Amino acid sequence: MVMASALSQTDWDELARRARRRRRISQSALIAFLVATTLPVLLPYFWMVAISFSAKSGGIASTILWQAVSILIPAVIAIALVRSFAASPRTKTWGSLGIAALTCVLIAVLVGPQLHLDNYRFFWVRDIVAELPSRQVSTGVGTQFPSVWSAFGNSLILALSQTVIVSTVSTFAGYYLSRFSFPGRAGFLQSLLVLHAFPAMTLIIPIFLIMYWAGLIDTIFGVLLVIVTLELPFSIFIMKGFFDAVPWDIEMSAMADGASRRQAFFQVVLPQVRVGLIAIAVFSFIKGWEEYVFVRTLLIEKSNWMMSLYLFWVADDIMGVDYGIVAAVGVFYVLPSLFLYLFFQKYLTQLNIGGVKG
Amino acid sequence: MARIELNSITKAWGDVVAVEPTDLTIDDGEFVAILGPSGCGKSTTLFMLAGIYAPTGGEMTFDGHLVNEVEAKDRNVGIVFQSYALYPHMTVRDNIGFPLKFKDMPKDRAAALVEETARLVQVEELLDRRPSQLSGGQQQRVALARALVKTPQLLLLDEPLSNLDATLRLSMRTEIRALQQRTAITTILVTHDQIEATTMADRIICMSKGRVEQIGTPEDLYRRPDSLFVAAFIGAPPINLLPGRAAGGGLTVGQTRLALTGEAAGQTEGDAVLGLRPEHLIFAESGIPGRIDGIEPMGREVLYRIDTPLGELRVLEGSAVPSHGVGAAVHLRFSADDSLVFDAASERRIAEVCAHAPAGHDSMEQRQHA
Repeated sequence: MVMASALSQTDWDELARRARRRRRISQSALIAFLVATTLPVLLPYFWMVAISFSAKSGGIASTILWQAVSILIPAVIAIALVRSFAASPRTKTWGSLGIAALTCVLIAVLVGPQLHLDNYRFFWVRDIVAELPSRQVSTGVGTQFPSVWSAFGNSLILALSQTVIVSTVSTFAGYYLSRFSFPGRAGFLQSLLVLHAFPAMTLIIPIFLIMYWAGLIDTIFGVLLVIVTLELPFSIFIMKGFFDAVPWDIEMSAMADGASRRQAFFQVVLPQVRVGLIAIAVFSFIKGWEEYVFVRTLLIEKSNWMMSLYLFWVADDIMGVDYGIVAAVGVFYVLPSLFLYLFFQKYLTQLNIGGVKG
Repeated sequence: MARIELNSITKAWGDVVAVEPTDLTIDDGEFVAILGPSGCGKSTTLFMLAGIYAPTGGEMTFDGHLVNEVEAKDRNVGIVFQSYALYPHMTVRDNIGFPLKFKDMPKDRAAALVEETARLVQVEELLDRRPSQLSGGQQQRVALARALVKTPQLLLLDEPLSNLDATLRLSMRTEIRALQQRTAITTILVTHDQIEATTMADRIICMSKGRVEQIGTPEDLYRRPDSLFVAAFIGAPPINLLPGRAAGGGLTVGQTRLALTGEAAGQTEGDAVLGLRPEHLIFAESGIPGRIDGIEPMGREVLYRIDTPLGELRVLEGSAVPSHGVGAAVHLRFSADDSLVFDAASERRIAEVCAHAPAGHDSMEQRQHA
């Protein structure tokens, strides 16, 4: 009876209200924390995009950035508040949409008129440095600036070739390491890891000398060989992990069903490691796309420009004169990586490197 | 549909012998079970038949043709794995049709065959699903259909029922057996479950430690086990094995002397083991005296643990309600025909020898005086 009366005295509504309040506070705190940590990461990119569309040559125009930020940040906070305090899902959706629409209008009215595409003139102007207003700038390049499209093409060739070679080799090597035993297999696996951990920068002089003796300096092929070699150990290791996860039974079953070992591999085993293969391909493409150190070292004549070199020389020659164009090249450079991540993030997040099996 | 012969087939990995030289003949259309505990080499034997493992030595013939070096894909063998090994990226239809891709067969005929086989194992409703959307029993049926679709000359089943729940296992057992009898495909089932082996197979090959212990009908293995291993492995609850000493036409177990009869009774000397199945021991007015130590009701039957001068005995009584309580003094009898006498050194059964239960009225009191 004592228990019963104690129970009836409990204010259940009050308890529920308290729990609701606590949940809201912790959720808001979490959102605030995430916003605070994301901002320093996102802001530079935002700055780059904003500058690239707004900066006029000869000046540093940051007013636009602050204008945009002062509209966007309150908007983000407002949306967060609406989402955590709105009662029904309907209010949440419509509230967020309303704020987003208001933000777009504000940006269009306040910032819109100042936006222009002039900084992207490198798309159609071949030698951007030559027609720069301040001609007194000495070009570090020493030669004519090449078209951005030739740099883009070269980078694409490098990245795609690397993707093809790395995916193919690491698929077959990973399969072999996973399925066959041979003398020195354990040592081979260990050395893969050691190779991956080895700082490639320390090899830069020997690599340069080897390339020089091999006559591969100033060729895309030379750079390709070097970066593929450095990328392979880790990719092989990851692919081996994926093949380890494919049960033997499936393969044996395919062979009993009448498939040859090769047919079993292509029709049954390979589809099981699709995620790994896509992840490897995306990563090696991005690796090739953003390669700078070996490109810089091994392409001394500047005959085969890469995007990274293009960005570097643009920054080197124009920085201080025209931020806008540097930012625009940066935006153009980052776009392929961004799209790849967006399209394949589903697969990339599934990538986990399995334990080492001897 | 083939007659399978193994002539001293061996498999070794380095120094580890997985299967010792084995001779086997399996008749066309026969359903044979390879029974044994895990690690006894039964799956290895199966995989050698499938062509996945190459034998280290010996000869393997299908219908008289030597197949040692014939590749797995050319043996026309269907196999169902314990894990079912369905191809996760294909639909059920593509899974079942996979073996037909490697045959010269018109597309429409292959499609019809897939439908027909799916109907045979009752998965025709599931043809467009993925294996991940199927229950364990359905996956099992699909695996069976995939193994059957190309009308194999030999069907291999590697522990096909061990991942199913108890009721499903029961019905699949009957279904697989019926399917085999209808299709008359030579079938080899590998299992560690004696019930599966005895209920489904025409003959059982009992293996232990890479060696064939005994080949025979389920009844042979139960009534006349060749070795201690087979006697202990077949039968549930397990057989009572009582060490003793044979001399002068008698067997002394504990303090009790049992008479031995049969052709070889006179020559039987030395350490021996008496095997008595729990279901062959019956309560009687006289015989082996004992006191009930424990009672385990098992539904239809009751299992007693009884302390006797021969040692502790498990006794199975075919009644739902125990007829005796714990601590009760009882007497046990068994028929000499049901007794099994083994040579302790060779662990082989001594054929033609039976042990007789003592008929005397010696009681517990006498035993305590002894």
